[in-house]
Amino acid sequence: MDTTETLANAAQHAVSSGVTALFAFLLVAMIITLALEEKIHAKKSLIVSLYAAVALILAGTLHLLPFGPLELPNGHEIEEPVYIPAIDWGVIAIILGSSIFVDVTSRSGLFSWIAIKLTKASKGEPLLLLWYYGIMTVVFSALLNNVTAMIIVGSLTAVSLEKLRQKDKLLGFLLIEGLLTNIGGLLTLISSVPNIIVGNAAGISFVSFVIKASPYVLVATIATLVLGGILFSIRRIDSPADRALAAEQVASFDENDGIASPGFFRFGAVMLGLFILTIAFTSVLPVLKDLGMGFVALSFAGIMLIRYKSEVQQFYKAIDWDLIFFFMALFVVIYVMELALVLDWIGQGISWLIGEGRATGTGLLLAVSAAASSVTDNIPLAAMLAKILAASGTPTESSLWWAVIFGANLGGNLTPIGSASTLVAVTIMHKHNLNLSFGGFVVKAFPFAIMHIVLAIAYVLLTS
Amino acid sequence: MLEVDEFESVFRSAIKEPYHYRPVELRSILLITDLDDSSSAALEQQLRQFSPVLQSPETLWQRLNGSDFRTTEELLRRVEQAAPELIISYRNLHSEAWRYPHSLGEHLDVLLNISTVPVLIIPHPGADYAAAHALQQTRSVMAITDHLTADDRLVNYAVAFCQPDARLYLSHIEDQQAFERMIEAVGKIRTLDTDVAREQLGQQLLKEPQDYINSCHTVLKQSHPQPPEVVAHVQFGHSLSEYHRLIDAHQIDLLVMNTQDDDHPAMRGMVYPLAVQLRQIPLLMV
Repeated sequence: MDTTETLANAAQHAVSSGVTALFAFLLVAMIITLALEEKIHAKKSLIVSLYAAVALILAGTLHLLPFGPLELPNGHEIEEPVYIPAIDWGVIAIILGSSIFVDVTSRSGLFSWIAIKLTKASKGEPLLLLWYYGIMTVVFSALLNNVTAMIIVGSLTAVSLEKLRQKDKLLGFLLIEGLLTNIGGLLTLISSVPNIIVGNAAGISFVSFVIKASPYVLVATIATLVLGGILFSIRRIDSPADRALAAEQVASFDENDGIASPGFFRFGAVMLGLFILTIAFTSVLPVLKDLGMGFVALSFAGIMLIRYKSEVQQFYKAIDWDLIFFFMALFVVIYVMELALVLDWIGQGISWLIGEGRATGTGLLLAVSAAASSVTDNIPLAAMLAKILAASGTPTESSLWWAVIFGANLGGNLTPIGSASTLVAVTIMHKHNLNLSFGGFVVKAFPFAIMHIVLAIAYVLLTS
Repeated sequence: MLEVDEFESVFRSAIKEPYHYRPVELRSILLITDLDDSSSAALEQQLRQFSPVLQSPETLWQRLNGSDFRTTEELLRRVEQAAPELIISYRNLHSEAWRYPHSLGEHLDVLLNISTVPVLIIPHPGADYAAAHALQQTRSVMAITDHLTADDRLVNYAVAFCQPDARLYLSHIEDQQAFERMIEAVGKIRTLDTDVAREQLGQQLLKEPQDYINSCHTVLKQSHPQPPEVVAHVQFGHSLSEYHRLIDAHQIDLLVMNTQDDDHPAMRGMVYPLAVQLRQIPLLMV
């Protein structure tokens, strides 16, 4: 059975069209509310939790929920709330574990040490600084996560350009870095949440993911930095006196200042390397392949927390609970949408897209995913499409998975609300009195975003 | 999750303003006294032995004796004509008020507030309160400020007056009372942790001058042919009493302070009371 046919015939329960339409309306309302998150000053966890509650009550009333005991592998039955198995705890564990791990590791001074070393290596030359910071953004986004990368590199950019008296270039730097977080976020399976969700659903291993994504990331990074240098007039310094002054100004950064303990610094560096290696090979390591990447992330977080064993509560407090509760509620909403056959409706829409021909369909899916991700959160989109593609039995090697991954990540570059990391870039701009409106961002980012999407469509089609 | 402000703080803290050593050359020195010419000349001879920087044969010494001026206006005009790179004088010119530790005298007061060149204030030659070691040597020199960060000019003058085997005390006393007022205000803000603020703000306030002093130590070792031994005094306390204590404890031969800064062209803060009260040793006001 081919994918098109499977998607079109995914409906398995007897649910009336009216009920499906009701839940589809609820889903659209939730997506619109999420898009208006900034306007209504409500956190996304609360928005989605309220929609999840309404969806559960409606689904319960309409007898869509499979209430009853849950059967364990040993045949025993346990009573469990119906919404608990709806949550993808593997994804939650990866996000929770890796954010604690990155937070604790950052206290070792490792990331600021790398960032300052690169700043000094640039000798204060704006163009070199752009390339070093750009590459650092991509690597940090790939290894940590997009938001953390943007916070580290964006903060350093603001401080170093202020020190170099080049604050007029800050907007260009931050915009390029914001866009590059979404490029770097494509490099590994754990670089962004859409990657984790879609990659897990598709069964793509960490290594396969990197092999497939890296040529695109390399080309898109170089193209972005070249175009950024031209559009924002970021050049090398002409006069030798100004070059010497710039070199002296960046030399005043002390990369060792943030290192409270050299021992913990070395430990942090070793653990980061081990973390990346372990995550990379989780799918082939015995036992770990069954426990999953979430277990690996939580274990590494636990080991790092030993350094702060008497004050772990400060790291628990610092967890982005809004994000965690958002995911949990979102998985519940998607679960209900699946039961109400809303995902089948969307699947039929995708079937229509794919039905336009394999190449056109894949390209269209990528473009539509990007467009949808640009105006609302890319996570619900990725989660929904992953569920639909998985339900239709889409093979791991299908280019449709990659169309969703590229589209969901790159759509964030079209608008300032398209991804959390571009939102962080805009926040840093506002913090430094650079008022870039929604429209202003779109105008400045448009050439880059279109270039990224066109390159991605060409790449996915060429490699499929 | 990490915060933007957290990382900006990390990177801002990593910027350490380095000390830049620039040798000080004094090509022209003006000695102002209210004495006759022979007494003034004798004082000049004594001063030439005080510090290596005053011993250069290429330095032009000029003198303004008691008969050369009477009013402050006359004094300022004569100083302008002489265009010195260092002025040396003492308190209460043409006055008997030098017996009391309450003023600098009108001439010196005005001169210090408008002069752009450093002024070396020596103990009054007629007074008996000068320390036994005063004007003998510059083996123990102390530079002080309430913001000892990137204050290269102050340190360079202090270094210039040091004799080869000197100890250079670089002192920064953070005002304990002002700090307590700030912490008291923090204690009334619900969202700020008072204990964390006290600990971290205190550490940061002392870290910056300490970093700068470390840089002075490193740079002087690299660039000065006979670097003085740099000793840091960075702590909280009551500025005036703490400086008095340090000066006595280390038998300071010369105290170096800023007369003015960018925001305040006139003497202010602890500088004026120190200049008035510390009559027993020479003071260099840069």
